[in-house]
Amino acid sequence: MTSPRLPSLAADAPGVARRVAAVIRRIIGVPDYAAYLAHVRDHHPEQEPLTEAEFQRERLAARYSQPGNRCC
Amino acid sequence: MPRWASALVWTVIAALGAGTLGYLALSRGEQVNAAWLLTAAVCTYLVGYRFYSRIIAAKIFALDANRATPAVRLKDGRDFVPTNRWIVFGHHFAAIAGPGPLVGPTLAAQFGYLPGALWIIVGVVLGGAVQDFVILAASVRRDGKSLGRMAREEIGTVAGTTALVAVLGIMIILISVLALVVVKALQQSPWGTVTIGLTIPIAMLMGVYLQYVRPGKVLETTAIGIVLLIVALYAGRWVAQNPTLAPLFTLTGPQLAKWVIAYGIAASVLPVWLLLAPRDYLSAFVKIGVVVALAVGILIVLPPLQMPALTPFIDGTGPVFAGKLFPFVFITIACGAISGFHSLIASGTTPKLLQNEKDARFIGYGAMLTESLVAVMALIAACVLTPGIYFAINAPAGIIGTTAESAAEVIRAWGFVLDPAQLRELTSHIEESTLLSRTGGAPSLAVGMAMLFSNVLGGTGAMALWYHFALMFEALFILTTVDAGTRVGRFMLQDVLRHVWAPLGRTGALFILTTVDAGTRVGRFMLQDVLRHVWAPLGRTGWYPAVVISSTLFVAMWGYFLYQGVTDPLGGINSLWPLFGIANQLLAAVALCVGTTVIMKMGKARYAWITILPLCWLAVVTMSAGAAKVWSDDPKLGFLAHARLVEAQLAAGTMPAGAKTAADVARMAFNDRLDAGVALFFMASVVVILAASIYEWVRVHRGTATPTSEVPFVARAAA
Repeated sequence: MTSPRLPSLAADAPGVARRVAAVIRRIIGVPDYAAYLAHVRDHHPEQEPLTEAEFQRERLAARYSQPGNRCC
Repeated sequence: MPRWASALVWTVIAALGAGTLGYLALSRGEQVNAAWLLTAAVCTYLVGYRFYSRIIAAKIFALDANRATPAVRLKDGRDFVPTNRWIVFGHHFAAIAGPGPLVGPTLAAQFGYLPGALWIIVGVVLGGAVQDFVILAASVRRDGKSLGRMAREEIGTVAGTTALVAVLGIMIILISVLALVVVKALQQSPWGTVTIGLTIPIAMLMGVYLQYVRPGKVLETTAIGIVLLIVALYAGRWVAQNPTLAPLFTLTGPQLAKWVIAYGIAASVLPVWLLLAPRDYLSAFVKIGVVVALAVGILIVLPPLQMPALTPFIDGTGPVFAGKLFPFVFITIACGAISGFHSLIASGTTPKLLQNEKDARFIGYGAMLTESLVAVMALIAACVLTPGIYFAINAPAGIIGTTAESAAEVIRAWGFVLDPAQLRELTSHIEESTLLSRTGGAPSLAVGMAMLFSNVLGGTGAMALWYHFALMFEALFILTTVDAGTRVGRFMLQDVLRHVWAPLGRTGALFILTTVDAGTRVGRFMLQDVLRHVWAPLGRTGWYPAVVISSTLFVAMWGYFLYQGVTDPLGGINSLWPLFGIANQLLAAVALCVGTTVIMKMGKARYAWITILPLCWLAVVTMSAGAAKVWSDDPKLGFLAHARLVEAQLAAGTMPAGAKTAADVARMAFNDRLDAGVALFFMASVVVILAASIYEWVRVHRGTATPTSEVPFVARAAA
């Protein structure tokens, strides 16, 4: 997900809330399925993308298998 | 902004920073307000960011917005995802900041506020932030390669292997010392034990909810988790006030240690979605929440620092940990000034997210400055306690005794005032049975935070809630590190077992078995049985028994140090925290060696002083601290001297404090020698990595070095 452009706040309150939620999700480290899906559609249209559940499982497994995502 | 205005603003900031630092350094006798410390820190950070980090960004790496980053070139929607700089900053900060910057400064407050404050502020600008930034930039230029791989490819195989082994060693010590902090904070505290115990079923409930009820609804689940945490806080109070239930949850250190060890094994073998992932989400929220709350609390209250600038303990006679100001303040405070562990994160997830190379400065240097600010705030929270209270909480029972009166007497002899009535009043305000000798740093930080927070919200009546709230936050951070660390350690160990094990054959097996055998009996029979008969499948990560065995083995390693610390009459923190500091600084030395080599191979040797400067300092600090811990004649400080002392006491027929049988004494002496061995191992690693690096630098100078593994320039548009 690349830089979300901030819309005028009053005009689009639900949209803003959605974007804020997206930012928080990324900061606490939730894998971004929408971005993955968009990437596969754009760059590898021949591939069948993982389902959301498969994607989440694969990301979690990757996250907890190497040092480099947490410190003291 | 016109040039002259910019120059004016920066002159004012620099003058303000220098002025406040000077005031702090020169003020003696009178009480100093926390505002001075905060201003000095923030102004120094601003100047460091604007001018010092610019050398790295512009002169060394010449960071270029047109150069395609790995996230852009290798975009796969999984690891490599171009991400907004603020999001990466938040993610990186949540990854680097943990309990380390909270505990270290709290312990170092035994020297007074000044040494810790100066080291945090100066160390981060010249050391910690430089390391994080250089490693991040180097990794971004190398497709997001890890520190271990960069060490191998830039310096050589020896350095690479040393780095990997060092990481494993550090993880063991790190986890054991953090687990020890939790155990120390929870012992004899039913409220704390129940509240923190409940966070485990809460995380599992969140995991099940996220997996089966509302898949993918992370924020909703985390919100529920936070509400449940508050329920757990009140549930703990209810149990603590219930005369039948309270004794059930009033646990001793060894009992708690066993629970934490069991938890480590369980967390490592259970599926990640059930416990680790939900706990992680919760912990990331809580982490950022606590940091913000602490900042707001300090800014509103602007407390005076009760601790003097320097205490008499700079001579090494302090009760919290042994050792003189030099080098031990630089070992006790690692996270917040310079933390080697960060180099793993700066070469882990973060470099794969940068959408623009230039963001490396903001994220690498900037996030570390922010962590440093957290360390300054932790120091302030520790120093809002009067020295009497601070030492009553942080000095072990072996020194101050077990009553408020005996503590008051000892503390008076040190030149500080402790009013027993005042201590009792504080203890009843926070609704604990005692505050004496609650070592480890977490309780005193929680008391400091409770004082700050209750000042803002709730008054004295809310102190108990705030105290246990702060304790829960700290424990949550720590347990997240314990469980995720165990899991990572398990994978690393399985990797070692698969590759290094088979050729090493039985000798290697015996070596590890002896360590485990001598140390702990956890899983010993299982381990022996399987290691003897089933060899190859041991490395298979999908094979459940292998998972359990390697988890158990890894937990046994840190569990051993934890148990040793819990049963140590001197409190355990005294021996383990310096080992952790040395280990962390060793990893920082590895990172700075990699950074220096990268800079030299880029043809920028004339700027290599930027990493050589902190590297030299760390080499001096780790070697002198390590040597003191191993060989000092003072049994309070030197491991070997202490081993000799307890054996001499046994031979003379007087049992050392905390030992009941000859076997206890033998165990104490063995533990001392083991700790000495660990310290020696870390020191040897520093020497190896330095020698290997210097050899490579000479080859760079002669033009015979292997070329750098930097990925050639690819323009953004072409990617």
